[in-house]
This record gives sequence, C-alpha cells and structure tokens, in this order.
Amino acid sequence: MIKTPSDIKEYRKNLKNALGNQFLGTTLDTFASAYPASRENAFAGIDFDALACDIAKAKDEAIPNLEKLLGEFTTKAVRAGVTVHFARTAFEANSMIAQIAKDNQVKRIVKGKSMTAEETFLNSFLEREGYEVTETDLGEWIIQLRGEGPSHMVLPAIHLSRRDVAELFTKVTGEQQDPDDINGMVKVARRELRQKFLEADMGISGANFAISQTGTIGLVTNEGNGRLVTTLPRVHVALIGVDKLVPDLKSALKILTALPRNATGQAISTYVTWITGATECKSAESGRKQMHIVFLDNGRLALSKDPLFAQALRCIRCGACANVCPIYKLVGGHNYGHVYIGAIGLVMTYFYHGLENARAIVKNCLNCQACKKVCPARINLPDLIKAVLRTVYQVEGKKPIRNIMLQKVLADRRLFHFMLRRARFAQKPFAEEGYIRHLPMLFSGEHGFRSLPALAKVPLRDMWERLNPPVENPKYRVALFGGCLIDFVYPEQAEALLRICRGYGVQFEYPMDQTCCGLPAQMMGEKETAREVAIQNLKAVDPARYDYIVTLCASCGSHLKENYIALVAGDSPLAVKVAQLKDKILDFSSFVTRVLGMVPEDFKSAGQKVAYHAPCHLCRGLGVTREPRKLLEISGLEYIKSKDEEVCCGFGGSFSADFPELSAELLRRKLNNAEATGAEVLVTDCPGCVLQLRGGTKKRGGQINVKHIAEVVCDQRKRI
Amino acid sequence: MEYPKVLELMKQRASAVRTVVSEVRSMREVLDYVLDITRKQEGSSVAAPDFCRGSAALAALCEKNGLALLTENLRDHISKISTGLTMARWGIAETATLVVDSTSEDLRIATMLCETHVAVLPKSNIVPDATALQEEMIRMFEAAPRYLAFISGASRTADIERVLTIGVHGPQELHVLVLEADEL
Repeated sequence: MIKTPSDIKEYRKNLKNALGNQFLGTTLDTFASAYPASRENAFAGIDFDALACDIAKAKDEAIPNLEKLLGEFTTKAVRAGVTVHFARTAFEANSMIAQIAKDNQVKRIVKGKSMTAEETFLNSFLEREGYEVTETDLGEWIIQLRGEGPSHMVLPAIHLSRRDVAELFTKVTGEQQDPDDINGMVKVARRELRQKFLEADMGISGANFAISQTGTIGLVTNEGNGRLVTTLPRVHVALIGVDKLVPDLKSALKILTALPRNATGQAISTYVTWITGATECKSAESGRKQMHIVFLDNGRLALSKDPLFAQALRCIRCGACANVCPIYKLVGGHNYGHVYIGAIGLVMTYFYHGLENARAIVKNCLNCQACKKVCPARINLPDLIKAVLRTVYQVEGKKPIRNIMLQKVLADRRLFHFMLRRARFAQKPFAEEGYIRHLPMLFSGEHGFRSLPALAKVPLRDMWERLNPPVENPKYRVALFGGCLIDFVYPEQAEALLRICRGYGVQFEYPMDQTCCGLPAQMMGEKETAREVAIQNLKAVDPARYDYIVTLCASCGSHLKENYIALVAGDSPLAVKVAQLKDKILDFSSFVTRVLGMVPEDFKSAGQKVAYHAPCHLCRGLGVTREPRKLLEISGLEYIKSKDEEVCCGFGGSFSADFPELSAELLRRKLNNAEATGAEVLVTDCPGCVLQLRGGTKKRGGQINVKHIAEVVCDQRKRI
Repeated sequence: MEYPKVLELMKQRASAVRTVVSEVRSMREVLDYVLDITRKQEGSSVAAPDFCRGSAALAALCEKNGLALLTENLRDHISKISTGLTMARWGIAETATLVVDSTSEDLRIATMLCETHVAVLPKSNIVPDATALQEEMIRMFEAAPRYLAFISGASRTADIERVLTIGVHGPQELHVLVLEADEL
C-alpha cells in the first residue's frame, strides 16, 4: 500500500532518507543527464513546440465534449461486439471488473501496465475478491512482488537496483540470481510470466487512446505483454479514463508522435496495438473474445468543466515532467507524488487521492518551469501546483503564519519598505563582511547551508538620483524594474547596469512607487496578494511612458511578463496595460546586445574564465538563452560550459525555507559543476540565484566568485 | 517521399532499433532466408499462418530440413514456435514500423510468441509516416473486429536499471524482407 505523509515533518524525514540513498541519487542523476539528449535526438526534424500546441488544441477541443465522445465511442464499440461500462468512481470501476470476472468464472488474471488501474488500486481489490492477479510488465511485476507503487509513470521500478531485483527473483524462483546478469533476469521474467499468460482466463489492460470515430482503443507498449494480455485470455477488460477519449485517429497519431519521444526518447514504442471490437479468440466458447471496456470518471468529467484545472486532463502520461524535475531527480517518485508522480502527480493527487495525500507533497515545487517547458500538452504545471496549494490552504482554513505576514506586509508598499529599512538595523549585530545568518522578516527556517547577504547600507531608490544623472537628447527612455533584491540587497548590480549603458543615450528611470513583483506571494499560493501587488506595479510603471522596461532579475521579469496577464485578466483597462508591459519587458543581456548592439570593441579583451548558471526564469520563463552567453563572449570573458547549466540552483524563494535539505543539495551540485570548469567566476543573471550561489560558496569556503552578469560585464567595459 | 528514398529512411531508422532490413528478389529468397535463420538459431519450427503464395514450396523446404511447419491452431503450439513468418501490410519509414493486420489469432500468436519474427513487406507499400496511412487505417477499423499492430523492432525493456534488454515477452529478433510486389 502506498503511504504518502500528510505531515510536513514526516515528509521531510522521508526526503532526508531519500537524499541519503546513494543508489537512487546516482541512478536518477544518470537518467536525468541522459534524457535531454535522447529526447532531442528523437525529436530531430520535428517542431516540438508546434506539436505541443497542436496536441493541446486537440485535447482542448475534446475535453469539453467527453460525454459526447463517450456516446459515439460506445455506439461504435458495441456494434463491434464490445460491452462498454461507465464507472463514476474508482470503487465502481473495481466492482464492475470483479463482476465481469465472476460472471465469466475467471480465476487467474494477467494485467498489462495501466496507471488508471493503479489509480483505482484495482489489484488489491481483485485480490481481496479472491482472484490471482499478475502484473506482466516487467517493472510492474517487480513492484507488485515487492508490494510497492510505481516510482515513475513509464519506468515504474527505476528506484531499484539490479541487486534488489536479483534478491527478489531469487526469492520468487528459489534459484540464485546473478545481479550482473540483467539479461538472465529478464529471461526469468519471460519464463515465469509466459506461464501466467497461458493459465489466465482474463486480461486487463489500460489504453492510451480511445478513438470515438471508430470505437478503437490504442495501446502503446514496449515489451509486448500488452499484446499477450489482449490476445491469450478469453476475456479482455480495458480500464480507461474518460480523458483518453479523442475524436479521431488523427488526434491519436498526433499524440503518438510525442508520447514515446518525450517519455523515453524513442521515435516510437516497439508495439502500438489498435483494437476495434471483440476479435477472434479460440479459447473462448464462441470463438470470439469477451471484450469489455470500463470507462472511469472518478472526477474527470467535473474536472473537464473546471476553468483552471481542465487543462490537467490534457496529460498524455509520458512522465517527462518527472524526467526533468530537479527535485524528482533527488528524491525519486515515491517521494514525489502519490500514485501519479512528477509535476502532474502533485496536481492530480488532490483530485484523485485526496487532500491528505496532497497537502505535503504539493509544497515541494521550485517553480523552475522545467516541467512546463517539456510538457507535450502545454499544461501550465507550476501554476496548477500553486493553485492546488492555495486550495489546500482554503479547504483547511488555515495557512502558515508566514503567508499571513506576507499578505499583510506585501500589500502595502510603504509598510513593506519601512520594514525592510528597519530590518537593516535589526541585523546589524550579526553582519560580518556583508553576510548575515538570518535576514529578518524575509526569511526563516533552516538556512545553515548557505550564508545570507546583509541588506545594503543605502537602498537603490535612495541613491538613484545621484547614480542616474539626466542624459541629453536620450535615444531610449527606459524604466528599470528593480525588484526587492536589487533595490535593498544588491543595488550595485543596478549601478553596474547604469555604468555599462553610459554613452549609449539611455535615459533610465526608476519609478519610485514600484514594489515587490509579487512572485513570492504567487509561490506561496497567495493569489490575491499577488494580484494586488501586480496592480500597484502597473500603476507605478506606465508602459506607455517607456521604450523598454529592463529587469536585472529574471524572476521579476518572467513574473511580470507571463503571470501578470492571468492575474489582472478581465480587469479593464489594466489588461491593456499589462499587454503593453509584456511587450516592453527585456532582460539585461537582451537589452545590451539586441537594443544597444554592443560590440567587442566596447570591452577590454582577455577577461577572466567564467562559468554560467542559467536562471530558471530566464532560460525557461523568458526563453532567453543565447543573449547572456553571447554577451559574455562579446565582453571578452572566457566562457566555459558546465554540466547542467539550466538546472535550478535550488533557491526557489520560499522553497529554500520549506525544504532546506533539497535546496542545499541542488546548490551543492550546482557549485560542484561550476567549480569543475576551473572558472574563476560563476556568472548568472538573477539576484535570487546570486544570493543562493554566493551564500553557498561563502559557506563552503569555495574559491569561485559569484557575480551578476551586469557586474562582470561592467568590469570589462572600457572607460569612456 | 518516393521509393527508393523511403526504403533508405526505413533502413536507417531500423538500425536504431536493431531491426534487420534486407531486400530480396523472389519468394525463393524469402524461404531461403527463413530456413537459414531458423537453422542458425537451432530452431525447430516455422509458423506461417497467412502464407498462401509459396506455401507448397515452404512445406517442402521445411520437410526436407526437418522443421515443423505450423499454419493453424497455433495456440496448441505456444512455446514451440522458433520462427514466425508473416506478411506486413505496410512499412512506415520514419519509425521503421511494420503495420501488420493481426486480426487472426494465429497470426498474433505467430508474431508474439516466436523467437524470431520474419516479415515480408511489399516494396510498394512503404510510406514515409503514419499520417500517410490514416485513411487506410480508418477503413480497416471500420471493418471491425480488427486487431492492427504497429511493430517496430524486437520486444524490449529497460525496467532493470534502465539497461536495454531485448526479448522480454515477444520475439528476440525482427527481420524485414522487402520484396517486389509482383513476386508475391
């Protein structure tokens, strides 16, 4: 039975245990490192983004019409000799399947891999009813024998080593198994399971598609067990979530183009089986298969009408959101979901398996956007995860004190900035060399793994006028959106920007009523506060007044650009302003290279060796990947590529306070990778990442310097 | 995309999944190939449920070489099938996929429970991608009941430590013999 802690303390204990599991850490890291290349290879010549848009569109057309599609499917399937059932709940589905078994005097059942059957805990139900149920997918069989749930939707036993499997198979067969003979162990499964296929009276499968047009189901498999399950026994039951209904073959083929490529980096899975109707079966009395299809609702039809969560039903179960998740990579699927794992698991658990199972795991998201970028159905996973978090708080009627504080303080810019200024004095006794252990008001929790910066003596807003003299006949009028960290912790990064742009005719302005971008509120599930803050900023920074709005903080930039639209949607005329704002937001590197067109002659040559960390909200949030690397080269620095450049540094705002052990591990790996390049400086373009990375090197006494890209580029700029 | 480009693409994609694609000129060559591979693997039988053309020659060849030829009621011979010899309706070049109409139970057993699967693919039936078969497939589904299989390589798993292992449930090898249609 799967146990998912609902208590955050217990959950964190499990996470710590997982971090201590060396096999898991290595195996998942190897997988995560190999996956992007094999995926890219599989998609060679295919425009992934266009395909994902197509799939999302096809799914969005099907989702509001599931009942209609179900009706059409049923008509066609019944005509072809299938009995179609509709189960409103998991219990109903399990009962129906048990009844089918009973009606057909079934004793033994073989099963193909089905996440939907995992969702309903079908096996234990049937076993309680006295049936022998054997999983026949190798990974599923292994975890069934161990009494576990899957730790990945496609690779259910990825958490186990060859030694674990050898030990298990030795027990099952009574013969000693050699852990290094994987081929031999696979042949053991072949032999043992072949017997089960021959003895079984009933086969249960899932399906990847249910095509209404023709009443056809499609199964995507690699091992071939799905074919045997649907061929040898005299009864076949397919358990299918209603979300798998698609109108036509065209939609199914579209999904099939993405599914194996995104799941395992295969152009196609070994077998794709299209079954229409009850086919020949010589072991059945009639000579024809007894075929049943059980469609499962379990909340899906209601979800299909939910304005926000309906998009979760677009999921095609490829598992890619786990493959790329930096947290999944550290702790594995048993600690990153309930039955459904990965980002989609954090969302679906609440709906399919309830609040108790969802409440702890749903907090465990960095908002690094890796899942969103790789999703073949363009599900906005990070947003949905935050929406579930909000729902958990609402349903429970209580939220962390931190949320209540943030809500009060952030909504009032004057109060917020007043508290930040006061915090500078409060921290005084602890400050040493610009670092402190705790930054009052802003952060809490275990931060021992990194040093935290002291607040700046003078915030940016207070020295702005001195730093930013008027420019005669300016060519560009540009607003700087600072964000809390630039304004109150790292004003020197803004100073560097101003220096670099000197002589290029840029008149900067710092709209004084700007406040926190609101992302921390969004991250903590405080949508109302995020909205209030967004409105304040839209009032403070009128996009019509500027040619560009530049940010030095990738997180602020991507929040302003992507999330503000949803936050003020339907609010006339702010919705217009927000669209204008979106078009003018630019990150530092893009501004310097694309707008100002700086060239190598603007810079000194022979600069330091630098490594680069790509902030999540820059490379994925804003989709900016070339410009910063190009700028490093233009400015005469020697840029050396490091491993996992685009993997999160572990900051994630309040995430690092909630899950310091995970944050620390991501940070450790990031710094190891950077140090391995031999670079003197680790450059990034987000003050949040600077805080995390600089605090990390400081703490471990590392030799590498951490700088914002504006700072290193400024040092290279020739004086004019 | 036309022949021979589609065949080239199919061959290239097939090598990625260890499918062996060969061009043969006659039914005689098909039979020699099957005999050769069955002997090489020390097999004892050939299952060929849908092989009409050349069936007499195949029967004679099997008899001469001491191989059992299985053509029907394969359920009674499960675990005794060395080589499965079947037709493929189409080939999809992009993914090196065979499209096999598997509505007959015997044909399914021949392709699922043999050690080596040899499929004969008419040269003119290779299409660049699955989309090109959409209309044909719909027509087949509409003539239900229908069991249509896409087969792209031998049965595989990576469920133990992600190590690719061949032949977990189904055939351990897949061979495709591309033949001029008028030889069929």
